[in-house]
Amino acid sequence: MADYYTLVTCLPWLPEQMEKCTQLPLSRIALNRRLTLLNAEDQQSLAIAEALYHPSVTKVQPDRERVQQWQKQIAELPSLVLQDLVTQRLEVQTLLAALRYRKRPNTSAEHFYGYGRLTEWIKSHWKEPLFGLETQIEPLEQWGELFNHEHTGDLQHQMDRYFWQQLLAVERSHHFTIETVVSFVLRWGIAERRLKSDADAALVDFQTLSDTLLHSSGIQQQLNSLFEDMNR
Amino acid sequence: MALGWAGLYGPMALGAIGSMIGCSLAGQAAAGALLETETGHGRYIGISAMPSSQSIYGIVVMFALNREVTPENAAGLAGIGLLCGLALMFSAIYQGRSCASAINVSKIRPEIFGMSLAPAAIVEGFAVFAFIFALVISAGVPA
Repeated sequence: MADYYTLVTCLPWLPEQMEKCTQLPLSRIALNRRLTLLNAEDQQSLAIAEALYHPSVTKVQPDRERVQQWQKQIAELPSLVLQDLVTQRLEVQTLLAALRYRKRPNTSAEHFYGYGRLTEWIKSHWKEPLFGLETQIEPLEQWGELFNHEHTGDLQHQMDRYFWQQLLAVERSHHFTIETVVSFVLRWGIAERRLKSDADAALVDFQTLSDTLLHSSGIQQQLNSLFEDMNR
Repeated sequence: MALGWAGLYGPMALGAIGSMIGCSLAGQAAAGALLETETGHGRYIGISAMPSSQSIYGIVVMFALNREVTPENAAGLAGIGLLCGLALMFSAIYQGRSCASAINVSKIRPEIFGMSLAPAAIVEGFAVFAFIFALVISAGVPA
């Protein structure tokens, strides 16, 4: 496997704590320009890892087909570390899907279809609140609570934090390798998505605030009082 | 006899191979850091030259061992020269890696620049051990 001394040192720093990342250190265009230092095989691996880790809903697919596609793509990743990283991400997604699926009326474990080592476990512990996985996935209890209260924003935040720390651990344990690069890019992806959604939320807040301010602006009030005076 | 000659030139050749690889690794890291930082470029390039010292040690050991190769001294020359050369080669490669890591972290936090060089300096220390004791022991090889 190739080592990426130049690439890793030309990547900027992302904070250890996700919350401290208040702006992206470089744009996607600049990042892509640097990632051209990867060889063709590793570029392909990065593309697969990114597609699986940060999925974009482009077409509706049956669960079985989707899982088979994931299995095929993961097998194409040359590094066991990357395979494990992506698998863990998809297993959490499976867990979340199981919680959602169970919440629907008239559903049973037999019809649930998921990815990874946890699927059979989930099916056999279907009646337990968190499928008996509390000891295996440390923050699951907190996630379950947020899920039950439908605090989806907070749940996403907690999960992002969990994945951020996982990626950081891989980044630190591998120096100048494809694993370092992929972990960085995946963390960058989390930061981008969070900042983008924050920006959207900020835009909505700003619109609401500006509408409110316009409705009761000083000029408007002055004009109103002026018209009132004229009418008298 | 052939091993004797290999032992004579070994420290120089193996030290140079190690320096090439070490300087290349550290140099690649320095090149990346140049893109990411605004200042301190000189010191990154300076660090990337650190593994070149093993070549110099190799040259000195080669001169210390330089004598007519005979059946009596060939084994001694081979033993000292090749083992010293291997030690120098590996130390240069791993020093290059240490330097690359030092460049990577000091790019993020320039204030730890000095401390981050400690591992590279320790590796250099082992290269110096191999060099000094090769010189000491070479005195015992028959001329």
